Amino acid sequence: MKYYLKLGLILFIFCAVASGILAYINTLTAPVIAERKALAEIQAREALIPNAEFEEKESDQGLTYYLAKDPETDEILGYTFIAADLGYSSTVQTMVGVDSEFKVLGVQIIDQGETPGLGANCTLPIFTNQFSGMTLEEIYVDKDGGVVVSLSGATITSRCIANSLREGIIDVKDEPNPGGEQ
Amino acid sequence: MNIKDKLTVSAAPHVHDKTTVKNVMWNVVLALVPALIFATYYWGIRALLLSLTGAVTAVVCEALIQKLRKVPITVHDGSAFLTGLLLAFNIHAGAPIWLPVIGAAFAITVGKQVFGGLGNNPVNPALLGRVFLMASWPTQMTAGWVAVKDSAISGLNDLTRIATDLQSLSPKAYELVTSATPLKVAQTLRDSSFVADINAQAGGLNLSGRIFSSLTEMETLKSLFWGNIGGCIGEVSAFALLLGAAYLLYKNIIEWRIPLFYIGTVFVFSFLFGGIPGSEISMMLPFFHIFSGGLMLGAFFMATDYTTTPLTKKGRIIFGIGCGLLTIIIRLVGGYPEGVSYSILFMNVMTPLIDMLTRPKAFGRVKK
Amino acid sequence: MNFAKELTKGLIKDNPIFVLVLGMCPTLAVTTSVINALGMGFAATFVLLCSNIIISLIKNITPSKIRIPVYIVVIAAFVSIVDMVMAAYLPALHKSLGLFIPLIVVNCIILGRAEAFASKNNVVMSIADALGMGLGFTLSLSLVGTVREIVGAGTWLGMRVTPLTYDPALIAILAPGAFITLGFLMALMNMLKEKK
Repeated sequence: MKYYLKLGLILFIFCAVASGILAYINTLTAPVIAERKALAEIQAREALIPNAEFEEKESDQGLTYYLAKDPETDEILGYTFIAADLGYSSTVQTMVGVDSEFKVLGVQIIDQGETPGLGANCTLPIFTNQFSGMTLEEIYVDKDGGVVVSLSGATITSRCIANSLREGIIDVKDEPNPGGEQ
Repeated sequence: MNIKDKLTVSAAPHVHDKTTVKNVMWNVVLALVPALIFATYYWGIRALLLSLTGAVTAVVCEALIQKLRKVPITVHDGSAFLTGLLLAFNIHAGAPIWLPVIGAAFAITVGKQVFGGLGNNPVNPALLGRVFLMASWPTQMTAGWVAVKDSAISGLNDLTRIATDLQSLSPKAYELVTSATPLKVAQTLRDSSFVADINAQAGGLNLSGRIFSSLTEMETLKSLFWGNIGGCIGEVSAFALLLGAAYLLYKNIIEWRIPLFYIGTVFVFSFLFGGIPGSEISMMLPFFHIFSGGLMLGAFFMATDYTTTPLTKKGRIIFGIGCGLLTIIIRLVGGYPEGVSYSILFMNVMTPLIDMLTRPKAFGRVKK
Repeated sequence: MNFAKELTKGLIKDNPIFVLVLGMCPTLAVTTSVINALGMGFAATFVLLCSNIIISLIKNITPSKIRIPVYIVVIAAFVSIVDMVMAAYLPALHKSLGLFIPLIVVNCIILGRAEAFASKNNVVMSIADALGMGLGFTLSLSLVGTVREIVGAGTWLGMRVTPLTYDPALIAILAPGAFITLGFLMALMNMLKEKK
C-alpha cells in the first residue's frame, strides 16, 4: 500500500512540475496568440476597406458585422463581415467587404479545410478576385445561373462560398438600420 | 509435365475440363466486343482507339513487370488485355489519350503485379485504375462527355422535344439536360435548392417533375437500352452488354448469382426510394436505374471476377446484394451520380470476410 | 557504441519511417507538401530531443512501474509547449499542421525512443539518438512530401517545377496517395538495401 502511495506521489510531482511549466508558457504565449488573431482580422478588414473606422454591430440574425465609416466625414463606406458555410469537408470562412450599395469590394478566405488541390484552391486570388464588383443578384456559381466561375472539380466549395456571401449580404442589407444612425 | 506435377496429391473429387485462364479471359474479351462495336458506332473511331490503347498499355506493362520480377511472362493469357480494355471502357470517349495509358499502367502495377500477379490481387485492377483516374483527374474524367452522334442533346436525346421551350423556360435546366449524363440529371434533381431555382425560373411550373418523369419515359429507356446516350465507352448500350453477358452465362464462364442479386437489389431499392418530391411514382423508374450508368458493365463483367469475389454460393448472394445496396445508396444520397465502381471495390475488400462467414460445414464431424 | 554511430543510424539503418515503420500517422497525414513535412519533422525532432534529455536524466528516479505515464507526461508537456509557441510565433505553419501537433504526443517514435533508448542510456547518447532519429524522420517525411507535392501539385516548396502542360495527379496529395507513395518508397529502400 505504502509503495503505491509513493508511486502516486512521484507521478503527482511529475504532473505538477509539467503543469507549472505549461501554465507559465501559456501566460507568455496566450496574449501573443490573441493579438495575432485580432491583428489578422483587422488587417483583413482594412485590406478590404482602407482608411476607415470600424464599428462592431450585430444583425437581427445574430451575424456580427463591422460598419466602416470615413473617420472625417462620417460617411458610410461599407460593411465587412465573416461569412461561413459548410463546404465539402469543412466550414469555409470568408471575410467579405461590401460598399454602401452592397456591391462586393473584395473577399478573402480566412479559414477552410477543403480537399487539397480542389476545394482548397478557393484561397487563390484567381478565384477570390472575381467576386469584386459583384452585386447580390450575380453571386451564384455559374452552374446555378450566376457569374461566379466555380473551381474545376469543386463546385460544392464554390457554391458554399457564393451562398454564404449572398446570405450574409442579405442579412446585413435587411437590417432596419444598418448604418446605426437614426 | 514434370515429375513434380504428377506426384501432387490432393483431395477428391478430381474434375478435369478444358477451362484455362487463357480460355476464360479471351472469351470475356470476346463478350465485350459487341459493346466495343456499339461504342465505335456511336462515338466514332476514337472510342476504339482509346480502348485499344488501354489494352495494349496493360499488356506492355504486365510484360515489363514480369520481366523485372524474373517470372514467366504470361501476357498471352489475356488477363492484362482484359484489364486494360475494361479500364478504357470506364473512360468517356472524349478523354485525352494519356488517360487510359496511365490508368492501365496503374491498374496493372499497383492493382495487380504489386500483390503478386494474376490471382493475388485483392480488388479488381480495372476498377482500381478507374478510381485512381477519378481521384487524380476529376475534370478530365467527367468534363465533356462526348455528344452522341446525330443528336443535339448529349444527355437525353429524347428531351429534344421539350428542350427548345426548355431553353426559354429555364436556362439552368436546359444546361443540365444538355450537358450531363442521365444519372447526373437524376442526381441534380435531388438537390432541393436546384429544383426550387429551376421551378422559379420557369415561373412556378413543376419543371423538375417534368424533367424527372421524362427520364422514365419509354423513349429515354429505349435510348439507354440501345446506347444513344452520353457516358463512358463501355456503358454505351445495355443491349450490347447483355448480349455479351448471355454468351458468358451460356459458356458457363460467369455465374448468375452475383449479377442477378446485384441488379435485382438496385431494381427493388430504386423503385422504393428512387423518386423525387413533386414527381409521380413511375413503374419504369427501376428500369431507368438498371439501364443507366455502369451497372450492366459492372454487374456482369467486373463483379464476376474470379479472384476478387466470394467462392461460396451464399457468399456470392451476399456480395451481389451488398454491391446493389452500396450502388443505390451512392446514387441516391451520395456525392457522386454513379457508384458502381466504388461499391464493387468495397465489396471486393469484404470478400475474404464473406468467404470466412459462409464457409461450408465439413461433413462427418461431431457438432460442438 | 559511439556518438557518431548513434547520430547516423536514424538515416538509413534504423530509419524510423522506412525501417522501423514508426509514426505512421504524421507520415501519412501531413506530407501533402514539403513545407508541411519539414515543419512536422522539426517539431517532432524538437520534442524528441527534449523528451530524450529529460527522460535520460530522470531514468534513475523513475520507478519502472510508472515509467510509461511519466514519459507521456514529459512528452505531452513538450508537445503543448511546441503547440503554443508555434501558434504564437509561426501562425501560418501552425495553421497548416493544425491538428497534427497535439498528435506528436502519440507519435510512436518519441515514446519508442524514450522506452528503447533514453531510459537505458546517458544524456549525451540520448541526444545523439534523438538528433539522428529526428533527422531521419524529417528527411523521410520530406522525401514523401517531395514526391507527393511534385506529383500531386506540380510544385516543390511552392515553386512550380513541372512544365505547365503537366496536369498534376491530385490523388498524390489526397489520403490514398500517401499510402501509395509510402509503399513505393519503402519498396525502393528495401531494394537498395538488398543490393548492398
